[in-house]
Amino acid sequence: MSLSRVIATAWRENLLFSVLVELTYRCNLDCFFCYNDLGLKGEPLTREEYFRLFAELREMEVLNLTLTGGEPLAHPDFLVLGARARELGFVVRVKSNGHALRGELARRVRDEVDPFLIEVSLHGATAVTHDRQTRVPGSFDRLLANLRELRELGLRVKLNSTLTAWNEGEIEGMFAVADSLGLPLQVDPEVTPRDDGGREPLQVTASREGVLRLFRLQFERGRAAQGGQVEVQVARGGDDGTLPTPVDKHCGAGSSGLAIDPYGNVYPCVQWRRPVGNLHRQGLREIWRGSAGLAEVRDLTVEVKERLAVQGAGGHLLNFCPGSAAIQAGTPFELYPAAVQRRELLEQVMAEEESGRKKKTSLPIVR
Amino acid sequence: MSVITPTTVLKRRSDVRYRLIEGEAVVLRQSAAEVLVLNEVGASVLELADGERSVGDWIDALAAEYEGDSTALARDVLAFAAELAEAGLLEPG
Repeated sequence: MSLSRVIATAWRENLLFSVLVELTYRCNLDCFFCYNDLGLKGEPLTREEYFRLFAELREMEVLNLTLTGGEPLAHPDFLVLGARARELGFVVRVKSNGHALRGELARRVRDEVDPFLIEVSLHGATAVTHDRQTRVPGSFDRLLANLRELRELGLRVKLNSTLTAWNEGEIEGMFAVADSLGLPLQVDPEVTPRDDGGREPLQVTASREGVLRLFRLQFERGRAAQGGQVEVQVARGGDDGTLPTPVDKHCGAGSSGLAIDPYGNVYPCVQWRRPVGNLHRQGLREIWRGSAGLAEVRDLTVEVKERLAVQGAGGHLLNFCPGSAAIQAGTPFELYPAAVQRRELLEQVMAEEESGRKKKTSLPIVR
Repeated sequence: MSVITPTTVLKRRSDVRYRLIEGEAVVLRQSAAEVLVLNEVGASVLELADGERSVGDWIDALAAEYEGDSTALARDVLAFAAELAEAGLLEPG
């Protein structure tokens, strides 16, 4: 069986495979477009509750456990929880801004948590842009130094970035920074609203031209790296981007994946902030099996797939996210502007690529 | 690694992470960032590779679980253990 078939099985049979845990919303940076709902109140999960959760996840054969925030390292028990996750055999990913990942702490993360991957945010190719987004002077220089240190420690690191109006002019430079560090860079072309629906982050949405430039660059780099074969990346597959073989659901939200906030609220996905239970009141297995809200979400992912079918063969280029739709349009079915633009621009770039290939293949005839 | 015999003791390498999904094992070797999917027998072997039981013990356990020619089973398990060791999933226990 291939991995794509395993993921398809997980979607179809509702087998929890990947869980994202937001340990805290505290953060040592102050990004303007942060999507966290910083006004959310609640009783944070205790260390013992996390231990119980992790034990349940182990019993449920969950493979992937992502620790994020806020800044996950700002949680006082980060190392203890990370070490427990390691003991239980999860594939641990850590999503961090990288600001504190240096020296003794970086070594302890390596030795005690042994993450499969640390995903670190890069906001620009220059200190001016990066620090403007993080609103912490010096954060760019410190990040570069920390990234070099993480590499020297042998940690596996990937860079993540969101394309914004502030950094779109230096996207080539951001890839150059990543290349100089020997790290992969994944750029998300969409700024999303805050989890509470607040639209302030959208003020820095990248321009249409900026997104087009990003797509062209991604195709160009993909072509160079893969000997001419370029695949369109979509974000709704497995943790490694693997897409399942066809199933009747649009995505694995609530079927193979879940997200949990610092106060124990459980969501079908980090982007679909529709609470389906709370860990202060119920165990995760009980929520997974018995939540009416979760059952509804699973049905909705089927309906989303059916409705998107009218979009035809190019529908996957939308990279449609029901969670984003719900927060932007109030319904998980409605196409939102960023998805529509994404398809238009990807089709444009793919047409350019096709045209370029035809020109190349016609060269011998011209000669 | 030297030749694997029924007395060999093997264990999963420390960077191997795996889970059983519908009887099959999804395996990630962290250092190589490789994902493998093993069938039911492969998943059983991975479970048995605890650094305490010998490969002969694995064969006995699997013979009790699966019907068929025990000689062929022993041959297959030895070959499979060698494959997993070669793939970097198992090491001497």
